[in-house]
Amino acid sequence: MLGVLWGFIYVCDCESPRESTLNVELIEIRDFLAGHPPFDHLPEEALERLPRDLSVRYLRRGTPLPPPDADGDYLYIIRKGAVELRDQSDELIDKIGEGEIYSSVCREGETGQFTALTVEDSLFYLLPCERLETIREEHPQFAEHFNQSVRGRLRRALESLQAVRSSHTGLLSVPIGSLIVREPVMARPETRIGEAARLMTEARVSSLLIMDEGQLVGIVTDRDLRSRCLAEDRDPGQPVSGIMTRRLHKVEPETRGFEALITMTRLSVHHLPVIDHGRVIGVVSSNDLVRYQSANAVYLVGDVRRCTSVETLTRTCADLPELQVQMIASGATGYHVGQTISSITEAITRRLIELCQEQLGPPPVPFAWLAVGSLARREQTVHSDQDHALLLADDFDPARHDGYFESLARFVADGLDACGFTYCPGEVMATNPEWRQPYRIWRRYFDRWITQPEKKALMLASNFFDMRIIYGEPALHEQLHAEVLQQTHNNRIFLAHLAANALKNRPPLGFFRHFVLIGEGDHAQRLDLKRRAIIPAVDLARVYALSAGLPEVNTRERLKIAAEVSALSRESAENLEDAFEFIVTLRARHQAEQIKRGEEPDNYVAPSELSSLERGYLKDAFSVISGLQNALGQQHQAGRFF
Amino acid sequence: MFGNLLSLEFRRERLLKKAPPGPLRDFLSVPFPSPNSDCREVPFLALDLETTGLEANHGEIVSIGYVEMIGFRIDLGSATHRLVITEGAIPEQSAVIHQITDDAAAGGRSLEKVVSELLKVLAGKVLIAHHAPVEFSFLGAACETIWGGRFLVPMVDTEWIERRTLERRQQTYAARELRLSRLRDRYGLPRYRAHDALVDALAAAELFAAQVAERDTGGRLPLKEFLTRL
Repeated sequence: MLGVLWGFIYVCDCESPRESTLNVELIEIRDFLAGHPPFDHLPEEALERLPRDLSVRYLRRGTPLPPPDADGDYLYIIRKGAVELRDQSDELIDKIGEGEIYSSVCREGETGQFTALTVEDSLFYLLPCERLETIREEHPQFAEHFNQSVRGRLRRALESLQAVRSSHTGLLSVPIGSLIVREPVMARPETRIGEAARLMTEARVSSLLIMDEGQLVGIVTDRDLRSRCLAEDRDPGQPVSGIMTRRLHKVEPETRGFEALITMTRLSVHHLPVIDHGRVIGVVSSNDLVRYQSANAVYLVGDVRRCTSVETLTRTCADLPELQVQMIASGATGYHVGQTISSITEAITRRLIELCQEQLGPPPVPFAWLAVGSLARREQTVHSDQDHALLLADDFDPARHDGYFESLARFVADGLDACGFTYCPGEVMATNPEWRQPYRIWRRYFDRWITQPEKKALMLASNFFDMRIIYGEPALHEQLHAEVLQQTHNNRIFLAHLAANALKNRPPLGFFRHFVLIGEGDHAQRLDLKRRAIIPAVDLARVYALSAGLPEVNTRERLKIAAEVSALSRESAENLEDAFEFIVTLRARHQAEQIKRGEEPDNYVAPSELSSLERGYLKDAFSVISGLQNALGQQHQAGRFF
Repeated sequence: MFGNLLSLEFRRERLLKKAPPGPLRDFLSVPFPSPNSDCREVPFLALDLETTGLEANHGEIVSIGYVEMIGFRIDLGSATHRLVITEGAIPEQSAVIHQITDDAAAGGRSLEKVVSELLKVLAGKVLIAHHAPVEFSFLGAACETIWGGRFLVPMVDTEWIERRTLERRQQTYAARELRLSRLRDRYGLPRYRAHDALVDALAAAELFAAQVAERDTGGRLPLKEFLTRL
């Protein structure tokens, strides 16, 4: 009845131009709403009308929501003050302040799930649930705030994080096929080298595909002509097959620009043939990619490989922070940054080992240089510290051989530190004799961690289960990795302990004003993204992977595969993947901004750096993580573990 | 005290008999809320006037803003703001304060129309104002001029409520401490940037809600506890 009356008043305002200025009188309230989600999604006219649908209530501290004397069902918008939400066991689950909304009364099935209480004297704007319903029907964007699944919101969050800062958006996700600008230039294997060079010059291409009976058998590039022909005084009359590269890495037209970039970076090649259903349709070069994206990771890896001393390596690595800035500016996500920086760190590590061997000579026994932690997972940022270990063949004799490996470890660790990857504070480095051991000792370590999983063992295990070979004898690492997986898979006691360990770092509840709301009576000025969000997600993924005996170490891959083998539901896996991606992207962006300001990058984000939308998204991400932690905890407690 | 309040209703009936037919008489024909009724059930109307002076016999009403409140829920749908056509030019000083110029006021309505409209909404309600004597005297003067009758309404004055509390505690205070914006700060109410009759009426309504909430001990809240004596 009242609603009809207000509607009438509004219609009158519309018809008389002079009267329409009346709405502006509630501009205070309109402006306030316009600055807070979900009302910021409403178009101008709807925002102008909205204040007339509201009423105002002042509730003293300690009043429940809805107040006992409420005369109807309303959405409560906090204009000033604060409200605490608690679950049935009186556990604090959230604290909301100015500009936030309490909508439980308007949501079917939510009443009774938790209680809300004002904890300060508060002023509220009340919107009748019926009006809310109408507005939701009229404005889908606004409605999404209430309707959308956590998953939908996280997806949008990530997009918003990428979209804001790039005219290049989507270029990293552009299908390679669309970058091909011309028909491939081809020749037969028996073509003479000189003829091939002429062909390339005429066609103005830097690569030539070598075809034999319709099959792609090799590729010749500018570099091959220089290093395998001219530099070797080879007769240009010889067939081109003698200088072509035969081991080809091919991509499909659907391959994303970023995947191609990573492939080039990892293999240090500059050309990738593109094959569509067995047919060669073109070549994509690093130049094609770089034209789109200023990040020159491929070149940086190439530069690293050419460095002849630690000094030149250090100078080359000085560009690394700038690379992260550029990547974020061109719309890269945290995943992209992690993959790229990790590839470069890997190249640096390899180059350092090579440089050291030039001085020390060949190793006395076979070894495997292992990346541990974030580098193993390919989740590094420019801020990451170094974690590594040395796995030595069993004929290692400490007395005779350790001098060599100690020098190697020292050289690499110092080199990495000089390149900006600081020493691991926990001493998880090959310089530590504990982590420079032959196979049988490593086997014993893992055996002890798995059979006697006390606190320290679990911490170390968490580190060393994320392990990847960077240099050396692959067989050494493969065997160790396979044996360990075999041992952990279905080991209920160990997995239960690992799960408990994964629950140690809990995400915050959310934000309250300028603080991070950690829990009962606990606030922080800044959000420790690593400890509060990244580690918990990484830990969860590790538990899922190990419980299913999966060899993957990258968090995203672990979650994808875990969902495939039903170690967790597809929905949970996807939610956690999106939450993780949002958080690491936010961190990469935060660090990029610090680098731009000339500050040292870190993992601490102040709530004031975040838009209210981003705070909302982060809260979603936190709730995904803590939801899965709770589920894991319950499985564990109920003894139904795996 | 009871007698004094009883006389308010008594006075209304007496004025009603004398009032000429028209909006003022219609207004006076609706009984005032009983002083014994609980505040939570009383309908209120918060009002603010912007005027060209502080005294009714020298100044004019420039604009009127009001908003209704019942059960301590302020209904923004009822929010009304009216500009009034003035007879004299608006003195520069008050034009600066209210940002209402002659031109803007010329886009308004006649005082008679605006006050008639107000009296219709005000009938049966209690008036809320900050420093209510100004509102009361200007409305009284308007009724005298337009209809030749006397005006009466039960009022709560948010400034007087605060002053009485301070005086009961025998606290000294400076006049500026009783300003609307100061008191709102004290009760933790938000700061409004705009300064017009409607925003100030809303500001007074919120302040009254906060004042009552602070004095609410869970028992009855008789209206007479808050009524200003005229």
